[in-house]
Order: sequence, then C-alpha cells, then structure tokens
Amino acid sequence: MNVIRAIQMYIDKMITDAGPGMKLLMMDRETISIVSMAFAQSEMLQKEVFLFERLDSVRSNEKLKYLKCIVFVRPTKDNIFMLQQELQCPKFGSYYIYFSNIIPRTDIKILAESDEGESVQDFKEVYADYLPVNPNLFSLHIPSCLQALSWNPEALERSTQGLVSVLLSFKFRPAIRYRAGSTAAQTLAKKVHETINKETALFSFRPPEDGAAPPLLLILDRRDDPITPLLNQWTYQAMVHELLTINKQRVDLLRVTGVPKDLKEVVLSTEQDEFYANNLYANFGEIATTIKVLMDEFQKKANDQRKIESIADMKNFVETYPQFRKMSGTVTKHLVLISELSVQVGQQQLFEVSELEQEIACRADHSTQLQRVKRLVSEGKISSANALRLVLLYAMRYERHANCDTSGLLKMLHDRGGRSHIVPRMLEYISTVARQELFNTVKITDAVKLTRNLIKELKGVENVYAQHECVLKGTLEEVIKGRPLDAQYPIMGNEVPFRRPPAEVIVFIVGGATYEEALAVHRYNQEGHRIVLGGTTIHNSESFIEEVLAATVGVPFKHSRSLQQFHHAPAGTA
Amino acid sequence: MNCKRVSVHAVNDTMANPFDMHEQESAPSGAFLLPTDSEILEGFLCPICKCDLRTPERLTVHVEHEHSEEQDLLKSLKEIFSIARQGILKGKKRSAAGGPGGPEGTEPSPPRTFGAESGVAIGSAGTANNPLLQPGASQPIGCTCEHMAYFKAVRSPRLERYAAETNKLIIRLDKLLDGLPTEPDQKKRHEQSKVPWIDGKLVKLCPTCAKSFGITRRQHHCRVCGSVMCDSCSRFLTLEEAGRLVNPTVISPTAASAALDGSDTQAAAPPPNESNHFRVCEHCMRLLMVRMEMQDWKRERPLLRQYYEALGRERVGIEPHIGMYRRILESLYEGDVIYRLSDVSTLREKIGRSAEKMDSVSKSLQALPTAPGSREEALKKAIRLGCISYIKEQMLSIPPLPVEEEIKRIQARKRAETERRLERERRLALEAFERLELQAGETADRQTGSSSSSSTASTAEMTNGRYGAAVSTMDNWSGTQTHGPAGGTTSDPLIDQINIVKGYIRQARAALRFDEVATLERNLSELTQEFYYRQRLDTDTKQSEAP
Repeated sequence: MNVIRAIQMYIDKMITDAGPGMKLLMMDRETISIVSMAFAQSEMLQKEVFLFERLDSVRSNEKLKYLKCIVFVRPTKDNIFMLQQELQCPKFGSYYIYFSNIIPRTDIKILAESDEGESVQDFKEVYADYLPVNPNLFSLHIPSCLQALSWNPEALERSTQGLVSVLLSFKFRPAIRYRAGSTAAQTLAKKVHETINKETALFSFRPPEDGAAPPLLLILDRRDDPITPLLNQWTYQAMVHELLTINKQRVDLLRVTGVPKDLKEVVLSTEQDEFYANNLYANFGEIATTIKVLMDEFQKKANDQRKIESIADMKNFVETYPQFRKMSGTVTKHLVLISELSVQVGQQQLFEVSELEQEIACRADHSTQLQRVKRLVSEGKISSANALRLVLLYAMRYERHANCDTSGLLKMLHDRGGRSHIVPRMLEYISTVARQELFNTVKITDAVKLTRNLIKELKGVENVYAQHECVLKGTLEEVIKGRPLDAQYPIMGNEVPFRRPPAEVIVFIVGGATYEEALAVHRYNQEGHRIVLGGTTIHNSESFIEEVLAATVGVPFKHSRSLQQFHHAPAGTA
Repeated sequence: MNCKRVSVHAVNDTMANPFDMHEQESAPSGAFLLPTDSEILEGFLCPICKCDLRTPERLTVHVEHEHSEEQDLLKSLKEIFSIARQGILKGKKRSAAGGPGGPEGTEPSPPRTFGAESGVAIGSAGTANNPLLQPGASQPIGCTCEHMAYFKAVRSPRLERYAAETNKLIIRLDKLLDGLPTEPDQKKRHEQSKVPWIDGKLVKLCPTCAKSFGITRRQHHCRVCGSVMCDSCSRFLTLEEAGRLVNPTVISPTAASAALDGSDTQAAAPPPNESNHFRVCEHCMRLLMVRMEMQDWKRERPLLRQYYEALGRERVGIEPHIGMYRRILESLYEGDVIYRLSDVSTLREKIGRSAEKMDSVSKSLQALPTAPGSREEALKKAIRLGCISYIKEQMLSIPPLPVEEEIKRIQARKRAETERRLERERRLALEAFERLELQAGETADRQTGSSSSSSTASTAEMTNGRYGAAVSTMDNWSGTQTHGPAGGTTSDPLIDQINIVKGYIRQARAALRFDEVATLERNLSELTQEFYYRQRLDTDTKQSEAP
C-alpha cells in the first residue's frame, strides 16, 4: 500500500499505452500537481514525454501532427467542454484520453461525437485523483473544507471523488466507519458508500479469502483533535512544514537570507531524494548528525576529485560528474534547510515554547502552566504566532477550569498585537468530543486510557518535546487490536461488522491531516501493519488556523460568550 | 560434472570413446566426492552475503532487513521453506514409523539439517507467512475502466457517414478534373454537366448566412455538391489541392506548408479568377480539408521527426552495448579470462562514438528553424535536454576502463585460488575415495549419496564454467584412473576444431557480439583442455611404451 507507487503505475501505464514516439502530456490544474508529485520532469523526458501543457491554457493553435497527445484530466464539466473543442480541431496526431475519476456516460458520448478526425486512440478511467505526499500519506489539497462548520458542497464532492479513487487504486471495497458525533465525517462516509453501491461493476473485487475482514475506511474529523496541528514539531518533514511550509513537495526559500540562487525553491521528494526519504521521520538532533556524516562523505569525495593531476583524472572527474553533481545538490539543499531550521529554533525560542506546549497538552497543572504562559506571552521574546498557539492550547485545555484566565491572556496577547480574535473562533470550532475526551479529564469509564496514562506517568518522560500523542494513534491502536469500534466509530450501511481487525486501513481526516499523524502511521506500518493516511489537506499550525477561521465564519458564539470583547478582529488586521 | 561432459561431447563428436570410459568410471566415486568440501557451504545461507543464519526464520528476517530490495528472493525463500517444511513433516512421520533413516556420517546431509529445525519452524510459521509482514511486497496496478468500446460505438456511425459523404465528393472531384477545359465558360458548362446543380429559383436565402439573394448578392453553386450560396460564403479549392485529394500518392512540394496553414489562408486570400479553382460550399470544404489533413499527416515526415527517429535508433542500438560493457567489466574484475581488456576498450570507444553521434544529431535537431515561442521550439529544447541527460547519465557515467596491471593481478590471484581449491578438491576426492573403499560394504545410504552427488555435480559444473579456462579440472582424475585407449594423431581434428572456434571468436569480437564471444570462449577452453588431456595421455602411453 504505497500511494506514490499507485500513482506512478497509473502514469506509467498511460505513457506505455500510448506507445513509442514523441509525446505531449495535457493536464489540468490539479492533475499537473499529481503528475509532478510522482515523477520529476527529467524522468518524464526519458519516457519520451517532451511537452507538458494545460488543457485550460493552451499555448497556440500550432499543429504538430507527429506528436501523440496524452490527456490526463479530472472529469469536470469545464474539462469535457475544452476537450470537445480540442477534438473538433485536433492539433496533434492522436489522442490518448485518461480521466482521473468516474466519468458520466453522457460525457463520453459528447466527446465521441466531437472526434470527427478519428484521432482518439484510447479512452480510459484511471483512478489517480489524489496527491501522493509520502508513501503512506495523501492529500486532496482542499485548504478549507467547511463553511459554518458543515461541508462546503464542492469540497464534499471532491473529497468523495478523492476517496473513491484511493479505494479503486488499491482495489478495495472497504467497510466504512466514521467518528460518531461528527456530521462531516458521517456525510462523507455516506457519500462514499453511495458511490460504491452505485458503481457495483467497478467495485466488484474478489472478497478477501477465508472470511478475513475487508479493508477499513475510517473517516475522522479534525475538530476532534485540534491540538496536534498546533504543536511545534521536531521531526524533519513536520518541522520543515511547520517552519518553512511544504506546498506540494516544494519549499519556498525566497524569504530566507543567504540562500544560493538555484535554491530559492527546493523540491523535497521521497522518490528522488534519498537523504530526504531516509530522514523524513528523523528528529532534529539525529538529522544534524546525519547531515554532518553526509557532509564529510561529500567532502571526502570532493577532495578526491581535487587531486586532479593528469588528463585522465580530469576525464574521470567529468565522467563521474552526474553523481557528483547530484550529491552536491542534495548536500547543499539539506544543509540550507537544516541551518534555516536551527536559526528559526533559536530565534523563536522553540525549545522553551515547545516544552510548555507539550506540558499543556499532556499534563494538568493549571497554576504553573498559566504562570509560564503569562510570562512567555508578556515577555515578548517569542513571536506572536507562538504566543497565540500557547494561548490557544491553554484556552482549550482549561476552558472549564474554575480559575480559567483565558480572557486575561487574551488581553495580554491583544496588547502585544497578537491575533486574539482567533481564540474564541477556535473554541467554537472544536467538537463536543474534543471537549469531553481530548484531555482525558479522568473519565472513569475509559479504564484503558486511564491505565495507559498511569503507566506513562510512572515511566517518566523520554523526550519532553515529544510527549504528546495524537488522537489518531490511540484510534489506530484500537482498530489494530480489534477492539469493539461500533460505539465510537459506527459502520456505514447495513453490512455485518467484522470482529476481526482489518488487514488494511485507510484513514481520512476531514479538515486536514498532519505530518505528526503520518509519523504515527509510519510507526505502525513499520510493525507490519498496512495503513494509509489522507486528509483534505496537510496542515501546519498556520494553515490550520486559517482553516478554523474559514470554517467558523458566521457561526454564533456559544462556548465563548464570556470572551465577547475579543470576538472581532482589531481594525486593520485580518 | 556429467552435464559438462555432454557438452564437450556435442562439440566434439568424433572423440566419443575416451569420454564414455571416463564418465562411467567417475560417476560412482563422484557420488561421495564433494559433500565435505569446505568451499561448498551448507545450512541456511543468505544467497547474497553467504553467511549462515542457521534457522529459516533468522534467514528470512535477515533477508528482509539486509536485502529488502530483493523482494523476489525473499518470496522464493519463503516458498522454499514452506515447501521444505511440508516435505519434512511428511518425511518425519514416515521415518518415525520406519525407524531412523540413514547412517550416521561425518558429512551433514541437507535433509537432516532441515529436519532438526522443523520443530522450531512450525511454531513461527504463522508470522513468516503473514502477508502483513511484507510491507514492500509488490503492489499491483490499481483499477482502470475501459471506455474505448463505447466511444467507438458512438463515433463509428458518424465517421462512416462523413467518410461516405467525403468519398462521394472526391469521386465528383475526379469527374470534374477529368478533361477540365481551361476556358471559363466551357469550364462552367463542364462542371454543370458533371454535377447536377440545384435550381436557384427555389432558394431565396443563402443557407449559410441567411441573407437574401438579389442583384448585389448573386447566387453561386458549389461545384461538388451543387448547392447554392452567396459569394461571401463561398470557399475555393485550388485545382492542385483537388488533384491531391483525388490522387493522394502524388506529392507536391507545397504539401507540407498547405497542410500546416490549413484552410485559413484559403479564406484570407480569395482567388482572383475561377479558372484555377473550384467554388465549393463551406460544408464540402470542411469535409475535404479534414480528408486532406489526414492524407498529409500520413505522408508527412518533417525533418524534426526524422532526426528524432535517428536518435531513437541510435539509442536502441547502443543500449545492449552499455549493458554488455558493465557485464564485461564485472567479469574482468572477477578475474575471468573470457574477455580481454581490448574488448572493453573497443566497446567503450563504440559507446563514446555513439554518444557523440547522438549529441550531434540532437544538436542539429535543435538547430532546425522554428518560430520562437512555438510548441515546436519547446519540443526541440526538451528533446535535446532529454538526450543530454541520457548521454550524461547512461553513457558517460559508465565506469572507467580498468588498468591492465590490476586486471592481470586479479587474474593471477584468481588462478592461484583456483589452483589451491583444486588441490584441496583432489585431496578430498582421494579421502572420499578411500572412504568409499572402506564403506564398500555399506551401500545402505543410497538415497543420500545420490542426492548429494547431483548437487555437487552441479556445483562443480558451475565452478567449472566460471573458472574453467584457468586450469583443467579433469586432470585431477588422471591420478586415480586407469588410462583409456589413446586416440590422437598429429593431424588431430581437435586442433582443426580449435582453430575454427578461434576464427569464430575473432569474427564475433570484430562484430562486438560479446555474448557469442563468451560462449565460444567457453567452448574453446573446453576444447583446449580436452586437447591437453589427450596430449598427456599420449605422452603417458608413449612413456609406458618406451621402456
């Protein structure tokens, strides 16, 4: 179960099906990202795909009849219309059309009727309709999926399609479970279930042998775990995303000073960058050591190369040039990234902030924590974004504490120009489940959790910056161990629920997944489980706060009535 | 070893006699020959790093961790173990019933090793076969859904209708062109006689632009379908184009440019007179132009495409050579003598030349004139880029030539090693032979003996094939054997054979067919060994005759 491999195989198939010869790949806004996350352009060149164009911004009417045109687009109305136009006066010799999802029959008819030049050679649906981020992580790149805390219809449609395509690309006909209490998760589960039942021909896969449980599609809601995206991260990928933002494998380094010209934007791909693939989940300390080793190795090689005494040596150097170049590129890229990370860690005092964040997330100690938050927020040494995060965490954690002083903190935050209006919005965003269970305020019923916490307390803390465990981790444990799920995660439809744990699990988080959760999934996969995580997007704290703001526009203030003075953004700020 | 003999046999038909003897005599002793040889490792060996892991579980885990890239290996390993396990379990039951099987010997026999471990194996069989524990297992391609059949079902009737209509128009064009007068009045009469024109009185409005006809807007007839339209809605087909449509095999020099511009230029520059054009309606023009485009496309071979095809041919031609180059280098570094250093350097030169050629072809492809900012220009650049990276990554990055002394050193070491090994084998063989005599009475262990003999024979065969050229393994036997009848004269067909093979090798080398070289070299080494062996026999017999 590797989402990157799944997409790569689809794209490979498209290209090989078109046969040998010069090829052009015609894509749309979304599929171009899908392709670029699976293959580098140089790899495509070796597959004889030389030109890349967008169906919606065609370069010219120039005709190149000796080119084969591979069309890979989503089945939207706009794309059908544009493709119809294209087929009516074809610019290329032959067309191989691949839709990234289920296409209505009427649309096929429209296109067939437009193909007067008999130029269409192939017409298929391939289900590569999601962005493969890591082998175990996919995204649909929907930055904001809720409006007034219920689904934005377009986002719902796109999420349904995305999930259906993930299922088809793994040939799964799953049992679908959703988080009880979350209408968003339930709606999506229902939609996916409906599609599966409608497209019975597509989903007619052989059921698993000897009555094993079918794969599980588990739909969760970000509103149930608003803590995870707010914490500072210390593993490489998560850290880069938190501090520098990874956008579809690309990191923009324009703002960073002292970066070489050719590294203003770097690509982080597990497929093309071995160092990155190996250190995705390494923590900050480890990675510093690793880069040192890499540097030494590189320097050794560079020194070897410097000993150029004869022409033969020089030739040798040139002959090993590609690898040399590749290696030097990797070293510099990661060196730049890591040094920038450590600059940020120092400047923002992230060690101190992160420790307090973890404390608030994992331990109940109101008065000490309040004092520490107060000190950090008022001192002004930390950035206002970090101050906001501390206040957010505090406000959620101690919302019902007798001595809760959120308004006092908000005042301090407001005074130093922080975006204090976000806090009430966050309190409206989080779900009832999060309120009741997130900080496991000793519910006697939940004995398992209680003992687990006790054990944790006894064992002490290994790493103060990584105490927090995302909710997903516990959820997955219950799934894997085959504990009864029906109460918290009811099954969609009237299928008989299987008691045995499923062999494959696809988790989808409405409202965005995080790299911390990807790490949790990775750890389970290392133990031999087969889990893939997906989300409407991949969040860092910044993008998550934006999503919360977008989702709570026009929502009446119920839980944060006492914070009325902070309900609106100060004039001049967004 | 038996297989080896047979192959020599085939090459050398005339010399059957001594080998038959040889074979019969060596077979029984061969059965006990090699099991204790320290060169042949036993146990649960990792096929990659050759270390003994002692239990199948540890081996599986080891392969999973250390050689995770070798997925098929892991799979086959697991299969073997599960098959072996079943076999052993059955075997155990049977042997338990029938008493202990096989005498106690010093040499460990593989079945017993498996048997000893089977108890452990059963307990953990579940985890070893658990599909969950194979995270990297190859993943099948996802679902796809084919719509081409439906697409064609919708498209075909439409296309057929268009095709029929177009064909009708082309037949009419043919009739029109046949004996077409140049004088305008006569031309018009000729046109009208071939195609029935619609009665103009019945048409009040131009069917295309819906404007009424009158003195200023006169009626015109389409020369191919006979319908009526106004002047501004008329299109014009040049006689030359008409000729091409009727007879597509005739290639006119302007064909390519006309096809590129399409009908746009026709509309933009209306003809000054009607003598060299046919007036046609828009509908007919479109059908005819679509047909013409298709015809042109089939014939069209622009320079860019020709260059690109040349590049592709070059690449297809050189790819096997690159692989061969790497293989030869590997074999050289292993100390084999099948290939020579000169072979790799010729091959390297060829790859270098091919790289240069690809470079120059792609350069001239890039130099083709194209409009700036056009799709074709981008295409040119991309092809060149792809070509450069291919040359860099595939052709220039091949490992450098080895130094001659180094190769010689490696070969010398290899030779020494082989000799040592042979020495040891000979000693062991002798020991085994002695043991055989000791155990002459106990023939009980027939089964174990034959199974190990077949495995050792194949090992010997393998090592022979690999290092065969260095020293003749068959010599070993000469000591323990009685000599067969001598069968060689000076006008030896063997020498002829050797010379012929040498000639073939020269030819294959010259043609850079190194796979053939390798096979022939192996044949040659077998032949020469055979030759030396027989020489020795000769001298032996001479010596024995002499006193």
